[in-house]
Amino acid sequence: MSILTLEFLGFAAALVLVYYLAPLRARPLVLLAASGAFVACAGWQSAAHLAAAALLTWGGALGLAALRQRPRLRGCLLAVLLTLLLGTMAFIKYEDVLSSLLKADLWRLAAPLGLSYFTFQSTGYLIDVSRGKAQTAKNPLRALLFVGYFAQLPQGPISAWKELEPQLSTGHRLEPENLVAGFQLMAWGYFKKLVIADRLLPTTDALLSGEALPGWFVLGGVALYALRLYADFSGGMDVVRGLSRMLGVTLPENFRRPFFARSVAEYWRRWHITLGAWFRAYLLYPLSASRAGVGLSRLAGRAIGKKAGRTLPSALATLLVFLLIGVWHMASWNAVVYGGYFGLVMAASMLLEPVWKTMQRTLRLPKKGWMTPLRILRTILLILPAQYFAFTAGPEQGFSLLRQTFAGWNFTGFGERLTAVMPALEWIIAAAAALVLLAVDLLCEHVKDFGGRLARGTVLIRWPLLILLIAAVLVFGCYGTGYDASAFLYTQF
Amino acid sequence: MADEKGSRFRKLAAFWARTACFAVLLSAVLAYVGYVIIPKHDYGICSMVNLYRQKKNTVDVLVVGTSIAYAGVNTSVLWREQGIAAYDLCSAEQPFWVSYYTLREALKTQRPRLVLLDAKPAIYTRDYPTRGRVILSTFSILSPENRWGAIRSCVETDGEALRYLLMYPRLHSEYTDVTWNNFRLPPDNGGRGDAWKGFIEVDEVEQHSRPSFVWNSVRRPINQREEEYARRIFELCREENIPVLLVCMPNPDYANDHMYMNYLWSVAEEYGVTGINYNEPSLRYGLRYSSDFADWQHLNVKGSITFSKRLGEDLKAMFDLPDRRDDADYASYEESAAAWFDRYLTFESIGEAVRE
Repeated sequence: MSILTLEFLGFAAALVLVYYLAPLRARPLVLLAASGAFVACAGWQSAAHLAAAALLTWGGALGLAALRQRPRLRGCLLAVLLTLLLGTMAFIKYEDVLSSLLKADLWRLAAPLGLSYFTFQSTGYLIDVSRGKAQTAKNPLRALLFVGYFAQLPQGPISAWKELEPQLSTGHRLEPENLVAGFQLMAWGYFKKLVIADRLLPTTDALLSGEALPGWFVLGGVALYALRLYADFSGGMDVVRGLSRMLGVTLPENFRRPFFARSVAEYWRRWHITLGAWFRAYLLYPLSASRAGVGLSRLAGRAIGKKAGRTLPSALATLLVFLLIGVWHMASWNAVVYGGYFGLVMAASMLLEPVWKTMQRTLRLPKKGWMTPLRILRTILLILPAQYFAFTAGPEQGFSLLRQTFAGWNFTGFGERLTAVMPALEWIIAAAAALVLLAVDLLCEHVKDFGGRLARGTVLIRWPLLILLIAAVLVFGCYGTGYDASAFLYTQF
Repeated sequence: MADEKGSRFRKLAAFWARTACFAVLLSAVLAYVGYVIIPKHDYGICSMVNLYRQKKNTVDVLVVGTSIAYAGVNTSVLWREQGIAAYDLCSAEQPFWVSYYTLREALKTQRPRLVLLDAKPAIYTRDYPTRGRVILSTFSILSPENRWGAIRSCVETDGEALRYLLMYPRLHSEYTDVTWNNFRLPPDNGGRGDAWKGFIEVDEVEQHSRPSFVWNSVRRPINQREEEYARRIFELCREENIPVLLVCMPNPDYANDHMYMNYLWSVAEEYGVTGINYNEPSLRYGLRYSSDFADWQHLNVKGSITFSKRLGEDLKAMFDLPDRRDDADYASYEESAAAWFDRYLTFESIGEAVRE
């Protein structure tokens, strides 16, 4: 069930109603039943796969807890569990690549709903249990709800057991602020997805047409793709976070205005936050702190100096992590270029940090003030090249567009070229909506808990804003007749 | 503890009261915005919109049908020549199932002496319309049961009908065609004024020749849904004791329609409904195929005048239709006819319509 459908809205309304009508103790069961129904809509294979993963996670966690005093056995069990969970995910995601590598027809498994998200969540939980950082549940239904909570299945976020599970297994009382704030967030999410992201779809298609394009057009199109991806992904996230908030469940934030980041590292702390946090907690830090990492640090310290030597293992681990993030997105060379590029930029910035600091001191560059917009611009310019490989079919196409960006900036026929992509009215609506997004992001950046404040504030401000927002989504949203509302870009991962 | 409970109860009561107010306000705003984006074409919703504005029980001949009927049955000519108070309740490509519900709706405010049913939908082969404009034409029906019935009859599933009823899922992309006129409440009917009787002139000339076909009685079954609703129309009129006249409008492309018309005529006979087929080769009343058509099926202004003169004579001969020209309750007919004849002055002299 796509969250863009009328059916989903009906499902959401019915869920909120039934949840609060049910006795307090039965409310977690309502969530479980709703999640079951949501997964069942994606097919019985999805439901069976998810139930199996949840049971494996539950049983595995109990086993790991029982082996607390026997670290070797615990390590072996954890390795087996991770291999099973991550191996299944890898097998399903990269089945085509494996088939072509092995030159054999492999057993085809249908990808269940939210495969990556529940796999990461389960494995994270098992590692936490193994490290003694998370509790186990005797009741398998708790694990089932944690792994299969419907809101996080379409495209995340990836939550930790200690943050999410206690919220799911406790019934929540109806709090007006939660209902209002959640409803607001849902409406805002639909605005971002339907009014901005889906409206910009033709701008990406125009880049993929294969014809020779002027540089400004390519650069603008790629920048609009980045905006589209942000509006699409964060919009979907706002919808599920809003619905969860209405049910009293606070899901972690997955996007914190990434285009206001002052460095690429900060960008990745603001973009797909929970995925980054997962990779940092379960891969980056363990790799950096591993025996190999420490050994490398010592060796490098002797060769290139103590400071740089200490940074090298982290930089290499970062490069590896970003390569994996890229490959997680898709099994293609584009993913390798995408991840590799970010990994190299991050590793370089880590290694060159002392140089940058010295330069800052020498030139007396301020950390804030007028430097902030320049640093934001620099970050955006560093992010953009990676986007060339996020939507193209292969590296050749990505590099070809990159070449076209610098080939010629001929502005003749500027208007005609734009209106060939979409009518002038659509450009005006897209620009107005993007300005609204910018204004709201600026407010959220500078006003703490802007959404909560609006929900608690006077209806004289909230109601007109909400009515305008809902009317804008209903009228200017790309859905229904004449539109083929594109699926969320991140559901495919 | 009791205080805490009481305070929570008051908090929740206030919240639900505010929520109810918000819901009412939101519904009102969305209803108006939805109204604004509904296309208000004269070939779509306008004839129904304007019917509500007619004085109660002042329509003697209610013409129900497709664009062929609203372009051919010239209400101004019927009025000027015979004093017949006729109203074209038609929309483009209107199938019998939409006609059925619009007729039901019309009978709430009008008590016609005759329902003139355009036979054209007999040739429609599809079970459901493929063009949204057919369904959009039903958006002018005010009563919920007839509106739902009309929409439901146009689509295959309840879910799809619900999307049309909620308007936005199916209509919102019409914002591209919104003009200031769309904001007017009550709706404007394309600047035609309240006296307008639903006739839409097609001001073009296309050369055609008289259709060549064998006037036989071979029948070809019509679409089952069209037949079902044609029967429903006949039954409704029988229940209401209103005679029906089935009319097949003159049409250069008629050769393809003849066998379907034979079938519809046979269905009509079961209900004692009579009909006139104006494509019958022996019928000669001055209609020129070379100059009286706007395209392959619609009469142009000149054709509508020639045809309507003959239609008026036939109606007078067949039914008891009073001459309303001296009746003050029917003043809007004279107003409508005067406005129309002022705009089309020289139609007879040059053989084609000339706008003033």
